Amino acid sequence: MKPNGVPAGISVPRDGNTRLILPCTRRQVLIWGGVSITGWSVLSPFLVQGADRPLIIMEKAQGMVVADPVLCVGCGRCELACTEFNDGKASPSLSRIKVDRNLNSGARGATTWREGHGNFGDGLVVQDLCRQCPHPVPCASICPENAVILSPSAHTRVIDPERCTGCKVCLQACPWEMISYDPHSRKATKCHLCQGKPKCVEACPAGSLSYVAWRDLTGEIPPRNPNSSPLPPERALSCQECHLPGLPQNIRQTSAMMRQLLGGGKAVPERIGFKWIDLAGTVLIPLAIGSVLVHAVLRKVRKR
Amino acid sequence: MRRIDLHPLPLRIWHWTNAGAVILLMATGLYLRLHGIASIKPHDPVLLWHKGIGLAMTIPALFWFLYTLLNPNQRRQYRMTGRDLKGIPVQARFYLFSIFSEGENPFPPSAENKYNPLQKTAYAAVMFVLIPVQVVTGLLFLDIPVLRDHLLAGNLMGLLGAIHVIFAYGLVLYLIVHLYMATLGDRFFSHTMGMIVGYEEQDNGMKEDKGSPTAAATSLDGERT
Repeated sequence: MKPNGVPAGISVPRDGNTRLILPCTRRQVLIWGGVSITGWSVLSPFLVQGADRPLIIMEKAQGMVVADPVLCVGCGRCELACTEFNDGKASPSLSRIKVDRNLNSGARGATTWREGHGNFGDGLVVQDLCRQCPHPVPCASICPENAVILSPSAHTRVIDPERCTGCKVCLQACPWEMISYDPHSRKATKCHLCQGKPKCVEACPAGSLSYVAWRDLTGEIPPRNPNSSPLPPERALSCQECHLPGLPQNIRQTSAMMRQLLGGGKAVPERIGFKWIDLAGTVLIPLAIGSVLVHAVLRKVRKR
Repeated sequence: MRRIDLHPLPLRIWHWTNAGAVILLMATGLYLRLHGIASIKPHDPVLLWHKGIGLAMTIPALFWFLYTLLNPNQRRQYRMTGRDLKGIPVQARFYLFSIFSEGENPFPPSAENKYNPLQKTAYAAVMFVLIPVQVVTGLLFLDIPVLRDHLLAGNLMGLLGAIHVIFAYGLVLYLIVHLYMATLGDRFFSHTMGMIVGYEEQDNGMKEDKGSPTAAATSLDGERT
């Protein structure tokens, strides 16, 4: 505080005019405001919520349920069996296999009824099933409570009701909208293959469902919810720790193998795209080129 | 100077067609291998090029086989005789040592014997082993419906891929040496020109009987002592 009671930072001009002169002008406010908005927006990718969370890597599931829409008659007994086993009540909207919602127009909704599946289209009922995604598991990656865990039976992804707070974030994260939400218990719930013995498969009278060994279908079946992304992009960068796309990964693995061959260096990651054949090639081809060049140089030198 | 007719026109056309196809296959194959076949989409243009050129290459390969089977002169070029077997170390010694000290090629090319024993061995290995195996494994990758199930059931795809890649590396190694050897003529491009125009000019310092391996061996020994 200055002696005459004017707060620090505010200067009183000599001419005695008591009009306050603030330490920054309107122009500066605009400039700094613009700079900070730009700055925050530039920094925002680094400040996204969840970006600092550890990457969740789950073992692959051992099994999955696949469905043949041609055989499905749309009776809905799978849904009843699912909710009877898991919730003790008949509640198709809670079911982890979703037939009911595709019954009339198909998976792409009512707008496509003319060319779509379902009763209003060609009559095929497209069953929606949990694909038991390999990592990054979208629901597990997004869950703020880490409630999506690996079930010891059949290595499925299952929601731990103890940890689930019912925030419904996972419902939006699933590309196929396969997470169900129980409004009574206020918990999300998802397919866990009934501990390796799926009740929907047992209940299907048409033989449309089968329980098979797990296969990655996540890249083959288009998502219902195209806006879902399994990972925020900045976190997806960390995936490249293990899987670089093609070329860089191969180069990195070859150099890792070279280092290992020469002694020292980290062990080569288990899943190698580049094989020992290529290591032999990368050694032999430069060797051949080198010896040919040495031969040429020797010929030149000795002939002189 | 003496003009030696070495390469008949059909073989010259075959050689350059084949060379173009093999180089394109190597380039596209390298791309596929570097990116990893797992991450290549089925409709990737490079993959389609590789398949297309590979299929197209079977025609020159078949032509070469027919030509070699039917043409007696060409067939003779690949017949390994006892002299050839004995000539392998002689020729190897020439390339490894005496070539630096202005030694004479113990098996100079002539219309009757185009290839020295090492060349015969290398060409036979390439044409009778490497290329047929590449063509056959490549064709098996084409997802032929009848074979597909057998290959998948026998879990043979990995093995086939490994063979295809190993032999491709073999072909690359061969190509490196072949390109270098092609520059060892009288001038840098003499052999290349020979493959284009069909004949090579040879120094008349070469005696007529130098073609026989015995003469070559004695001349080599004479040089060494």
